[in-house]
Amino acid sequence: MSERGLQTLRGFYRNYIKKYYEDAHRAKAEKRPVAWVTSTFPIETLQAMDIFPVWPENFASVCAARQASVALCERAEKEGFSRDLCSYSRCVLGSMFGEEKDLPEGGLPKPDFLVTTTCACDTHLKWFQVASRMYKAPLFLLDVPYNISGADSNSLEKAHIEFYVSQLEELFSSLEKQTGTRLDKNKLRDTVALSNQTSELWMEIQDYRRNIPCPMDARDAFSAVFFMLCIPSAQLAVDFYTTLRNEVRERAKNKVGVIENEKFRLIWDNLPLWFNLKIFEYLNSLGAVVVAETFSHVWAGNLDPSKPFESLARKYLPNFANASVKRKIDMVLSLAKDFSVHGIILPANWGCRMMSIGETIVREVVYKKLGVPSLIIDVDSSDWRNYNEAQVKDRFETFFETLNRKQ
Amino acid sequence: MRALQWFRDCLTSIHDVARGWKSQGKPVIGWTCTYTPEEVIYAADVLPVMVVGDLGGTKLADAYMPSNSCSFARSCFNAALRGDYDYLDGFVESNSCDNRGKIFDMWAHYTRIPNIYFINTPHTNTAKAHEFFYEEVVKFKEWLENTLGKPIFDHDLKKAIEVYNTNRLLLKKVYDLRMKHPPLISGAEALEISLSSTMTPKEEHNELLTQLLNEIPSSSSLPKEGVRLLVSGSVMDNTELIKIIEAVGGSVVADDWCTGSRYFWNLVDEGDEPLRAIARRYLDKVPSSFMYSHEERFKHVVEMAKRYDVEAAIIFVLKFCDTHMFDAPLLRDELKALGLPVLYLEWEHSMSGIAGLKTRIEAFIEMVGGVK
Repeated sequence: MSERGLQTLRGFYRNYIKKYYEDAHRAKAEKRPVAWVTSTFPIETLQAMDIFPVWPENFASVCAARQASVALCERAEKEGFSRDLCSYSRCVLGSMFGEEKDLPEGGLPKPDFLVTTTCACDTHLKWFQVASRMYKAPLFLLDVPYNISGADSNSLEKAHIEFYVSQLEELFSSLEKQTGTRLDKNKLRDTVALSNQTSELWMEIQDYRRNIPCPMDARDAFSAVFFMLCIPSAQLAVDFYTTLRNEVRERAKNKVGVIENEKFRLIWDNLPLWFNLKIFEYLNSLGAVVVAETFSHVWAGNLDPSKPFESLARKYLPNFANASVKRKIDMVLSLAKDFSVHGIILPANWGCRMMSIGETIVREVVYKKLGVPSLIIDVDSSDWRNYNEAQVKDRFETFFETLNRKQ
Repeated sequence: MRALQWFRDCLTSIHDVARGWKSQGKPVIGWTCTYTPEEVIYAADVLPVMVVGDLGGTKLADAYMPSNSCSFARSCFNAALRGDYDYLDGFVESNSCDNRGKIFDMWAHYTRIPNIYFINTPHTNTAKAHEFFYEEVVKFKEWLENTLGKPIFDHDLKKAIEVYNTNRLLLKKVYDLRMKHPPLISGAEALEISLSSTMTPKEEHNELLTQLLNEIPSSSSLPKEGVRLLVSGSVMDNTELIKIIEAVGGSVVADDWCTGSRYFWNLVDEGDEPLRAIARRYLDKVPSSFMYSHEERFKHVVEMAKRYDVEAAIIFVLKFCDTHMFDAPLLRDELKALGLPVLYLEWEHSMSGIAGLKTRIEAFIEMVGGVK
């Protein structure tokens, strides 16, 4: 099945991820400013200030893929951090307590400062508070209102946008003080424009996955989303996605799919099992293909370079991680319709409240509205001790039997 | 002592006071987070009550809430599904933790309770956060006025502030009874008192506290002084664990619960415009662990440890309470730096695994007591 993977993604880890960590360590060695950052933080701000963004979450997924995460989680647990915490955070905290030479990609370069936001979860703030204390490095927080009405980027409350924008202004002045460099407004505009271009290409790629058969699988998507998440404002991202778009478009035109006879087209919610991306090949072997991940559909935003601050607010505030479950339901409903989906996989991540509570509502409402069933599975993104493969496979097989009967 | 007995009874039948209030034809609104500006509710002649759980298991809730969600939240939700809170005329939730944001959805979707409202609560207390939260409190007041069909006047708010501040000052006096050697009330009694405050009309509670303070000095049955302990954690809505500690030679003389000292430690400024003063009090109070200023809480705990002359501390972390799970090792280090022995325990709200906790608590108190 793996030969059905996209050419453009061959050697992705070696060519891009490994290189990204080499760049990060080089930036640190050259004394350029290095900041730790979390997802849903407006990364464009750092890129506009030439601050090298380091992504502990990405590092945790790298450790999981290299089967190194559990040993690191255990180190954090030994220091008193509960085993029920987010495995991303335990893995990275664990990496801070040990020898750097043991770590994948030489570990994370130490931060000069850290930035995070409440836009996804409490864990981001709490985890970074711990790191900030440990490294004696300042922590800047973008405090985000919760999107309780489940508004999309066009219907956000004015007060929420204003609160966000005013904090961006404060953030830039903190970053200026921290780095001793003034924000160049033109550079911000360019950065935002580049990010917008990356977003458009990424969404175009996703749209080709509506085709039957679907030309791109979840495994490739979860790798390729790296640029969207971590360095969207880079020519490298635009170039890579252009090549990827061309390949996916070509496949769609020639009706080349991940699998030939698609029995079940699926949506995959939340995170994958980074330590076991082969699960997607297993699904393929049962005639199933993941045609859309909610994760691939939350990082894009229409950014208007003439209104960078407001655009960033409208891009990040509606992220479903920061919203009433209505927001996720809306997204799943529209994906299910647009991508001709038969079933929805809702993985509940052991260390993540935000990704676990409310999934029963998603399942209920989506079934009521579209008759599309969902499967909730207990998993963990990086700690395989919270994952029972035999049980999960069993549940998949039962779920597909149900789908079969329906069809 | 009559007052102490009243507080104890209040906790054995937690809905009685609210039902009594309802029988006068007045509404009751439930809340779960101590960042809810209760004064605004009280000013409308509505009884605000903290929604709490019980030890009876969470069978109903488990059908909808996963086993890796906050066990306190699951217990509260279970009580709501069972109909225990059907008397509520409204329910207020906030985003003060990841569980809570989603609990709003759960209550709105699965329970019969009408008028579910959400207060957006910042995690910082900068000038801008204060401005944002003030507007949230204004909107909350307007929502209450619309829902109840009557205005809330400034003089109502001022009166509520006064009554609430009195309650806070009295609670502090009651807490200070534990500065004495031996402490004049037990830790379990102190928790009964602070918890009952979250579900009793404050004017009535103030009378009972005054009565208690008059009764105490004449008391001849003082509890025996054990190892003086500080306890810390998120929420503690029953006295089981404290009773275990005090049965094996501990005296709980100070706490850092959101249902204990953090509930009442700070006052509302009575000189300011009432709504502004209320909003300000909540964002500036001794912070909960979800706040950016979490180190202020560590300072509060350290001050309490000194003020109440404690010999050791127990940090209780409620299962799946992320913000406290991250803070616990840091707080442990702060307390150890004071030279205090610290025990760190994770507990399930349902008290499953209580036997193991009891053994560890007993060994810890024995160890500290032996050194003494």
